[in-house]
Amino acid sequence: MSVRKTALLALFTTLSLAVYAIESAIPPLVPVPGIKLGLANIVTLLLLRSFRARDAVLVLVSRILLSSFLFGQALSLLYSLAGGLCSLCAMALVMRILQKRLIFLTGAMGGLAHNLGQLAMAFAVTRTPGVLAYLPFLIIGGILTGLFTGLCAGFAGKFLGPFLSDFPSAIP
Amino acid sequence: MKENTSWRKPAAVITAFLLLLSAASLLYLLSDKSGADYAADIFQDGILIKSIYLSDVSETYTFTVQGENGCVNEIEARTGSIAIISADCPDLICVHQGFISDAKLPITCLPNRLVIRLRPVSDSPGAAPDAVAY
Repeated sequence: MSVRKTALLALFTTLSLAVYAIESAIPPLVPVPGIKLGLANIVTLLLLRSFRARDAVLVLVSRILLSSFLFGQALSLLYSLAGGLCSLCAMALVMRILQKRLIFLTGAMGGLAHNLGQLAMAFAVTRTPGVLAYLPFLIIGGILTGLFTGLCAGFAGKFLGPFLSDFPSAIP
Repeated sequence: MKENTSWRKPAAVITAFLLLLSAASLLYLLSDKSGADYAADIFQDGILIKSIYLSDVSETYTFTVQGENGCVNEIEARTGSIAIISADCPDLICVHQGFISDAKLPITCLPNRLVIRLRPVSDSPGAAPDAVAY
């Protein structure tokens, strides 16, 4: 990995960490655990669009580890990893199928996959079938918040596009 | 020059999939099963530790549930509804949820692994969740 790219990915990690910190200062919109805007997903989407999936994984995992050490509890690390990695897999797949068009659809699928992954982890941790009652809330919440972050990424990509195109995915 | 349009079909499929899923969830949430009497099952670590028949509660009372690592949730039971009124977890999502009086959304305190679910009294405790049972 070139120094240039390392620096750029570090910059994106910092950016997503900052976005995450700002978001955690906003009070929750609805009293359902797991439903939040997930603004840091904007950064993941931008990276998936302009870089390789494994670069996005690198930034995502770094951000989750850092944020858990800085603000979180031990359990939140598990939930974040489950949600984040599910979301990233889904978005990488959809982004490829849609050939990087209609980013908001990719975002919506990512939001949905994030919440499903997190719910599965909550089920594994609490071993309570009761948590599955959140499923309809999390489905709707995931799709809506994903649409929002997807639209944000679409608009941000318009402005960042010329800048990011200096760093095509071919950079080793 | 011919434009590659092979993304259009999957885009339509994904849109339809998301719309259907949202509609199904919304329909489920809006379906009203009111008029039932509920019992509140309190689970800790997935184990049923207490059941309260909410329609039999004549006077509001509070009690505390202690977790394995010293975490505490204070629960208030009223006639027909129940809530966690204070907790020592950092996010307090369970407290902000307030009183619940139907089976749609359980109160969950993930840090303290505490779940309060309402179930119509005709079902047995710990029965499969509604999403599966119906």
